[in-house]
Amino acid sequence: MLVQTTNGLIEKDLLEVRDIVADEDNARVMATEWFLDGKLVRRDVNVNILRGLDLNSEQEQM
Amino acid sequence: MANTQAICKTFRVDLLNGLHAFGTSVVRAGTGADSFKMALYLATATMDATATAYTATGELAATGNYTAGGAAVTNATEPANTGGTGIVAFWTPSASVSWTNLTSSGSFDAALLYNDTNASDKAVAVFTFGAQSVTSGNFSLTMPSNDLSTALIRIS
Repeated sequence: MLVQTTNGLIEKDLLEVRDIVADEDNARVMATEWFLDGKLVRRDVNVNILRGLDLNSEQEQM
Repeated sequence: MANTQAICKTFRVDLLNGLHAFGTSVVRAGTGADSFKMALYLATATMDATATAYTATGELAATGNYTAGGAAVTNATEPANTGGTGIVAFWTPSASVSWTNLTSSGSFDAALLYNDTNASDKAVAVFTFGAQSVTSGNFSLTMPSNDLSTALIRIS
């Protein structure tokens, strides 16, 4: 399987993959980093917004 | 300088002035819902409740497959209103907002939801999610569940 990177299309088996999960205040972030010979050549990010914004809560804060 | 998550202050009066149509039950010359977009902002920007409209100031540069103005929001779900412990009106985009084969011009941590149909690109809300960078990859904003507790925009 070929993966698009800063070095063009590279066979997936040649890349080192690292998955990162981070919890922010209102989101869960999942990132996938792809390395070729120790150099970052691709980074994907998915931000999962956990909860939207409430107009009433904003007013209470004001 | 920092981005702060908030519903934009002018959104309230803009709602009263009928400047936003999230649904199709509108009384206007046209009956289609407005089109909305999300634009991404650098972590050094200052997007917050005082934002009144889309601005290119502080936005990701239009390079690396990022288009100025951001990406379109899929709006196929009518706003809803329900009870529970109170009366809550809510709305959420019906799909994730995404960018493909993106290389971000810098670290970014905020998205501005704004009305692309409105002549002034009126602002709706700023969402923050921690500083991120994308390299030759995909970036997606997955929406929360569309209910009275978690919907992207809730008015209670």
